[in-house]
Amino acid sequence: MNAYRIKGKGRVDQRKPVRFSFNGTAYTGYEGDTLASALLANGVHLVGRSFKYHRPRGILSAGSEEPNALVGTDRGNGRFEPNTRATVLEVFEGLNTTSQNHWPSLKRDVGAINDALYMLFSAGFYYKTFMWPKSFWNKVYEPFIRGAAGLGKSPTVPDPDTYASRFAHCDVLVVGAGPAGLAAALEAGRSGAKVMLCDEQAELGGSLLSETNARIDGASGWDWLKAAAAELAALPNVTVLTRATAIGYYHQNLLGLCQRLTDHLASPPEGAPRERLWKVRAKQVVLAQGAIEKPLVFDGNDRPGVMLAGAARSYLNRYGVKVGNRPVVVTSHDSAWLAAYDLAEAGAKVAAIVDVRPEVAGHLKQRAAALGIEMLTGWTATGTSGRLRVASVRVNPISRNGVFGPARTIACDALLMSGGWTPSVHLFSHTKGKLDWNEEGQMFLPGERTEESRCAGAGNGSFGLAAALAEGAEAGADAAVDAGFKAKAATYKVDGEVPLMGVSSRELTTDRNASKAKAFVDFQNDVTAKDIRLAVREGFKSIEHIKRYTTNGMATDQGKTSNINGLVIASDAVRRPAPAVGLTTFRPPYTPTTFGAFAGYNRSELFEVTRKTPIDVWAEENGAVFEPVSLWRRAWYFPKPGEDMHAAVTRECKTVRETLGMFDASTLGKIEIVGPDAAEFLNRMYTNAWSKLGVGRCRYGVLLGEDGFIRDDGVIGRITSDRFHVTTTTGGAARVLAMMEDYLQTEWPDLKVWLTSITEQWAVIALQGPNARKLFEPLVEGIDLSEEGFPHMSVAEGRIYGVPTRLFRMSFTGERGYEINVPARYGRAVWEKLFEAGQQFGITPYGTETMHVLRAEKGYIIVGQDTDGTLTPEDAGLGWAIGKSKPDFVGKRSLSRPDMLKADRKQLVGLLTSDPNTVLEAGAQIVLDPNQTLPMKMVGHVTSSYWSGTLGRSIALAVVEGGRAREGATIHVPMPGRTHTARIVGTVFYDPENKRLSA
Amino acid sequence: MLHEFHSPVGREIAVGKAIPLRIRTVDDCARFSLRFDPARLAEASKAFGLALPAKIGDVAASSGRLAVQLGPDEWHLLAPLAEQGGVERAFAELYSATPHSLVDVSHREVGIEVEGTAALLALRSAIAFDIEAMPAGMGCRTIFDKAQIVLVRETEERFRIEVWRSFADHVWGILQATSREIELDI
Amino acid sequence: MLVIRCPYCEAERPEVEFAYGGEAHIARPADPSTLTDEQWKDHLFIRTNARGTHFERWRHVHGCGRFFNAVRDTVSDKFVTTYKAGLPRPTEAELEGMRK
Ligand SMILES: [Zn+2]
Repeated sequence: MNAYRIKGKGRVDQRKPVRFSFNGTAYTGYEGDTLASALLANGVHLVGRSFKYHRPRGILSAGSEEPNALVGTDRGNGRFEPNTRATVLEVFEGLNTTSQNHWPSLKRDVGAINDALYMLFSAGFYYKTFMWPKSFWNKVYEPFIRGAAGLGKSPTVPDPDTYASRFAHCDVLVVGAGPAGLAAALEAGRSGAKVMLCDEQAELGGSLLSETNARIDGASGWDWLKAAAAELAALPNVTVLTRATAIGYYHQNLLGLCQRLTDHLASPPEGAPRERLWKVRAKQVVLAQGAIEKPLVFDGNDRPGVMLAGAARSYLNRYGVKVGNRPVVVTSHDSAWLAAYDLAEAGAKVAAIVDVRPEVAGHLKQRAAALGIEMLTGWTATGTSGRLRVASVRVNPISRNGVFGPARTIACDALLMSGGWTPSVHLFSHTKGKLDWNEEGQMFLPGERTEESRCAGAGNGSFGLAAALAEGAEAGADAAVDAGFKAKAATYKVDGEVPLMGVSSRELTTDRNASKAKAFVDFQNDVTAKDIRLAVREGFKSIEHIKRYTTNGMATDQGKTSNINGLVIASDAVRRPAPAVGLTTFRPPYTPTTFGAFAGYNRSELFEVTRKTPIDVWAEENGAVFEPVSLWRRAWYFPKPGEDMHAAVTRECKTVRETLGMFDASTLGKIEIVGPDAAEFLNRMYTNAWSKLGVGRCRYGVLLGEDGFIRDDGVIGRITSDRFHVTTTTGGAARVLAMMEDYLQTEWPDLKVWLTSITEQWAVIALQGPNARKLFEPLVEGIDLSEEGFPHMSVAEGRIYGVPTRLFRMSFTGERGYEINVPARYGRAVWEKLFEAGQQFGITPYGTETMHVLRAEKGYIIVGQDTDGTLTPEDAGLGWAIGKSKPDFVGKRSLSRPDMLKADRKQLVGLLTSDPNTVLEAGAQIVLDPNQTLPMKMVGHVTSSYWSGTLGRSIALAVVEGGRAREGATIHVPMPGRTHTARIVGTVFYDPENKRLSA
Repeated sequence: MLHEFHSPVGREIAVGKAIPLRIRTVDDCARFSLRFDPARLAEASKAFGLALPAKIGDVAASSGRLAVQLGPDEWHLLAPLAEQGGVERAFAELYSATPHSLVDVSHREVGIEVEGTAALLALRSAIAFDIEAMPAGMGCRTIFDKAQIVLVRETEERFRIEVWRSFADHVWGILQATSREIELDI
Repeated sequence: MLVIRCPYCEAERPEVEFAYGGEAHIARPADPSTLTDEQWKDHLFIRTNARGTHFERWRHVHGCGRFFNAVRDTVSDKFVTTYKAGLPRPTEAELEGMRK
């Protein structure tokens, strides 16, 4: 158990074992382990297969940059996540994990044949390989690509977790809690500024957690870290967020932080969110993201057991895990030598340090010699062996003029590599900050900034602990000063640190056939140096194109370990300097982020606002089926036991026509328009004339856009001379009010009139049917409901059941109708009372479907269903609603544009199908000649179509080119299965004389 | 009188013993949307019986009345239910000399009170602007997640939300979720 | 999400409170009936579609409710300034001063 763990070493709690499983095998780790460190402690390096070639892969890194070690994690109760990086996943009791991209097992994988078909999958394979023959697409290529594409498996059940969200505002936000970030946060915190410090890891410290040599102000790095963390925790103005990754840096210093709240817990508390997305607006930002180590690119650099030297050092010093007993180091940078020393001191037999540089600093050699490590400077790695774990490395000396000496094979169980370090400029790059190429360091560094931000430490190219602390403190102090506080940077004394140098290189040269080398640049997308060179040979010169052609850097790790290697190789192949080849743009999120985090609270019932009327509860209790209408949910129909929708709607329609129905119309938009210029304002907005509308009367109004097309409609009542009650469509309420405000504020600010939304002030109950008046005449006080006193299209204020009401007489069914507005909180009670009282007339509640059928029988349009933003009032048969004598109204000028006067405009007509039982599909296209060649000329479409129980047949409304002139003609409606015929008729199917309105 | 109904009424969220957070719907009251010429504000103040604030964001409150200025010529007014008729009559008398708009929106809104040391934290889950920087005795219209609200900071630790009734359930649901986080201290 | 200064509230407010309102300084003709079809088409449909400095309308719809004007750089997406509806367009010299 934990054969590779060193007792007492590292920061994990070795008194607290944690049991977990990987591919069904039980293992033990310790609290504080990541899955990667716990597996390595158990000697497990093989953790997955690569995506394209299914090559066995191990753990490359010790951080969020990991391209290889992706696993599926099962946290129980349907909580499954693919592609979790083993290097950031904290182990907990009961964690189940599985490897990916293999079948039937990790150790024997059929797909690994892809590895042998290497030539087939080189650069651009997506674009080239599967082109020919065409007949292979459906049966061979596509299933194969689909099988191979993607990484892990998708979860099979909806995510059971919840997610949270929070806004924050601060003076200084520090991203990254390594030495630079800590120093910055301390300085800013001491100034009294409101500070937030975030780090993606579970504990603060960054590179300090893996550093055991250096001392700060006389204390060990870890003691200093402890003191710094304690000081920050004690400052009330400082908020520290761990497990919080800064995923994106947006305009005006807005950063998104994704905080993992419960993923590390064996049993999260009930109702605890899994993650929280912080949206932080900071006056000043300090970016201390650190640096990422570069792999070396050579044949076989991807075998399990080959890892970054800095990662090996982290596993040793932070987790107490030796990654091997017989490691070899291959490097072009001094920092890898430290890994060799630390491992040797921990008891590993370091077989050799292979450094491609002919010369290295004397002090490095002295220490290696003292530890008995063989040094091969001026040597290079040219291959590795070992199927499921690296077993040896092949190395050659190279003379100063580039001549290869004979190869040597060194046995090893781990191969630690370093090609130097790349500053993490991702967040700075999100801001479109300029990046400057540093030729000496072969790296991009933050240049001119676009936001109030500063970069510090390794992320700014200032490597080493002393530099990080100094630059961090300075950045923190400066940020605090710029945010309006007084601060001065502290100085730190660092001992035990040696300067670390290195060279950066393209792929390592080899004495073998380079075209056969599997020297990986992008481990996750299986892109090799050869692929990049091939792309250049095929004519790609810009890194943006090379990236897309080879897929280098396009995997879920966004090329954190591969971008610079890819660029340097491409620039070598193109024979142009790296900055001329370019750097691909980094985009948020910095690391893969769950959709849940972005959705936050907005899922399930909180996905969107679901607006419900005051009567909705009654409808639900009485078995209504609902449909969404804009944000509202509305009662669609009220089925009785045994009824389907058709039966229910037919019954509801019949009851309304024969006796009485009630309908919840509360969702209709309502606007109260008040002021001496109210009528004039309506004159200018609506097509109709309003000045002469009497108090107590109402009128149907049509609203156009300035382009002359119908935008909305509704009934408008005049309550007093200066007060109008305007109704709009349900979906148009907000839009209409905004349009009115626009004209009022910006075109006619001189008008004395004010608009107030009263949609939700009033609950609206429509009573429709021949018995409507009989039902509520006895219930209403203060309004003369007689035919003369309250004719069709009247409005009055009074009381019903003692509650104030605005009563409209209007009809959207063709029957005698009233709309009773009562203050919303009384809506349900009045509805219930009316329903009770209506029993004597056999009253039925009805929903939106019956409302639609009844209005279609009368040819009343629904804006947005029968109109689509291209219909003028004339097209819709509403020419009568245009106040012809008005000098102007919104949209009037457009109605005389030549296009608006054409005879072949689409016009609203009625349709009667030849077979009365055929109900056309709404949206079906209309043609004049069903035998014409394809593509047919479509002359219109069906806008509304229903079964009319009243008429005992189907009816439809449609728009047809020159439709009104074609009345009586037969048209054809191709639908799946067959083509139907129908006759063009007028739009009013029922009671064209409107006798029933007063029946 | 008939019974009144709106959905979140009677519900309450309490977190912790010493009220670090308590969320409840407030009693019904009369509400008006007032549009008035700011140059003649004194007349409106007299009619309402409270010196109306004269700067967007300012709040005035006294003896059951509250006024928050939402726009250059717009105030959201709250008054005890019993005084609704009186307020309407007082403004009606002003109308011919000083045309304005007073619209009854008593039933349009639901009032939700969020109180306690964790009130800020609860609101920060869904409000984008810096509420901590908003002094007590200020108010504004804003967005809470996807719902438009009027937010008034009545005291350091007590906020009042006024929200259209059909959006109240949504606001309530988010307050419930965030209250759970506060309860778990997560 | 941007922060936008409302010239009526005299405060920086979050973008969610605002709605975009198209290009600014396009007045509706006092009497559209006197315009030719060509002129009316220009009024309705033709916009500058600027790359760089753009004069545009916004409404503090979920705040004070007011329409106002803004100058925004369509390349950087940064606001140069905002001002009340009805005020004249800032001059290039004034804008230059604000950009610094
Ligand atoms: Zn404003």
